[in-house]
Amino acid sequence: MLRRRLRRAHALCLVGVWLAACAPASPTPAAPAADPSAPSGDERTPLVVFAAGSLIVPFAELEAAYEAKHPAIDVRPEYHGSIQVIRHATELHEPIDVVATADASLLPMLMFQVEDPATGTPYAEWACSFAGNRLALAYTDRSLYTEEIDSQNWPEILARPEVLLGLADPRFDASGYRAMMALALAERWSGEFGLFNQVFEGQFTYPVRIFREDSLSTITVPEVLETRSEAHLRMRGGSIQLLALLESGDIDYAFEYESVIRQHGLRMLQLPLPVDLSDEAYRDQYAQAVVELDFQRFASVEPRFIGEPIAYGITIPSTAPHPQEAEKFIAFLLGPEGRAVMQADQHPVLPSPLAMGWEAMPVSLQPLCAGVGGP
Amino acid sequence: MMRNATRATILFAILGGLLVGFIVLPLLRTLTATSLRGLILALQDPQLQRSLAVTFGGAALATTIGLLTAVPLAYLLARRRFRGRGLVEAVVMLPVIVPHTAAGVALLLVFGRYGLMGQAFARVGVSFTDTVAGIVLAMLFVSAPFLVSASREAFALVDTEIERVALSDGASPLQAFWHVTFPLARRGILAGALMMWARGISEFGAVVILAYHPKVMTVLVYERLQGFGLQAALPATAVLIGVALIAIGVLRGVLGVQRESTTG
Repeated sequence: MLRRRLRRAHALCLVGVWLAACAPASPTPAAPAADPSAPSGDERTPLVVFAAGSLIVPFAELEAAYEAKHPAIDVRPEYHGSIQVIRHATELHEPIDVVATADASLLPMLMFQVEDPATGTPYAEWACSFAGNRLALAYTDRSLYTEEIDSQNWPEILARPEVLLGLADPRFDASGYRAMMALALAERWSGEFGLFNQVFEGQFTYPVRIFREDSLSTITVPEVLETRSEAHLRMRGGSIQLLALLESGDIDYAFEYESVIRQHGLRMLQLPLPVDLSDEAYRDQYAQAVVELDFQRFASVEPRFIGEPIAYGITIPSTAPHPQEAEKFIAFLLGPEGRAVMQADQHPVLPSPLAMGWEAMPVSLQPLCAGVGGP
Repeated sequence: MMRNATRATILFAILGGLLVGFIVLPLLRTLTATSLRGLILALQDPQLQRSLAVTFGGAALATTIGLLTAVPLAYLLARRRFRGRGLVEAVVMLPVIVPHTAAGVALLLVFGRYGLMGQAFARVGVSFTDTVAGIVLAMLFVSAPFLVSASREAFALVDTEIERVALSDGASPLQAFWHVTFPLARRGILAGALMMWARGISEFGAVVILAYHPKVMTVLVYERLQGFGLQAALPATAVLIGVALIAIGVLRGVLGVQRESTTG
């Protein structure tokens, strides 16, 4: 009897473990309601789209619009930091049809130069820049010093120890290294060459270093990046993970893209044009900030990001299970319907999408994306 | 008749064996995919060492708080008949059913900077976002039901007659609990504490929302897998599985000892 009850207690514990293990590990965005006339999920062709977290709102609507037009397709989006988006294809070898990142230059760096070990061909040979954005500071009514902060004094406010600042991890998310670039550019713009260290010094276990030359500020991010216990910096894998912390009041400010801030109805501080990585006219100035990731152990490539106007990139990995369907989806995005969805969600699209590796692009997409220096 | 019984045994063994294989194979594959050298290097990695310390220490702290609160509650649930007892039992088991990401959100709302408890604790200098305190809180929330459940079962096994004898010999209820009931139930409670500790170590969903930093082992594994790939995540994963194996071994040892002492 006694033994039986003990076993029961043990079994209860184990059932509990099982139940707990069933809990989802991470939330996924709710899919829009399916078209009732569409075939059921089992019959539809799945189209796996891995995209930057800042595309979550327009891409959710794009998914609904595309599925309404193509009932036989089941668009399955998944959102991460842009570098993570690529690594899901190149390191975790997941079957992905479309890759869309917040930084188009990541695609040649991390996909053109990396070969699929199974075939010996690069993971991608072309990419199309299709959308822009602007880096800004998001905050709420409860944030500290909202009455005081402006486009001049923001680095000084962010450096205050009582101000909790949200930052995406620059090792995984483009907005993370762009935030670091913005501070390096703010130094150059204002001539106050101490702003970067004011915000970041003493925040990490292993320091993020900045090396200033006449026309270049090089920021080195260590391979292991973790905040110290007394830090006023709150870091998350992707910038969209900071939104909940902003809304709960657990951070005061976060570097976010303008489109994301508007989509979530947050308050926004616009950064000056020479800093916010939005304006083509400042291309040369932006290039004066460079972020290097000091990867030694885990990665075969050592990423180096050069400041430039923000451009979102999209491609079809060579490992895509449904490349033809992916082509149609990208054509929809680049066409009038896709552009209308993006603009309705306040995500700026490029007036004319621009291709890298134009000649390697699927023929159907070539008219929609001009080649660099090409047709 | 005998032949039928043998057939049934073989059938059940095949079906059960499939499940056992399903559990063992991925765990074994992970361990064999990690070289001994990789494992040793991983254990020398300062980030992993810090993460192990935060994870094990945080889970131990959560379990300590659990022992101070869950054990008295379990005693009441096992021994006293009171109005709403069923409701209390259901509430205490809720964290097992509630998805852990939802638990993390709920904890953030209450223990965040502007949450009811967050503000109260801030007055004494304790905050829960991105701190060890937040990790302990998340672990406590999701793993306490295991200790309550195991302790309640352990108390229920103790013969009430022995307690009555202690009380009639002049012991106070608290003395009877401390000197008679608790020692008799301690192995069951210990098993529950071990389960709670192990469950705390394996927590991801609630911890990652409340305290991404300092990184506990599950967050570190997730980050390395997402950011650096499978090979980077393997050694840390193997360490976690190794700890789970040790925990289950100790748990079985504790239960085994009790079985022998109660049945032998």
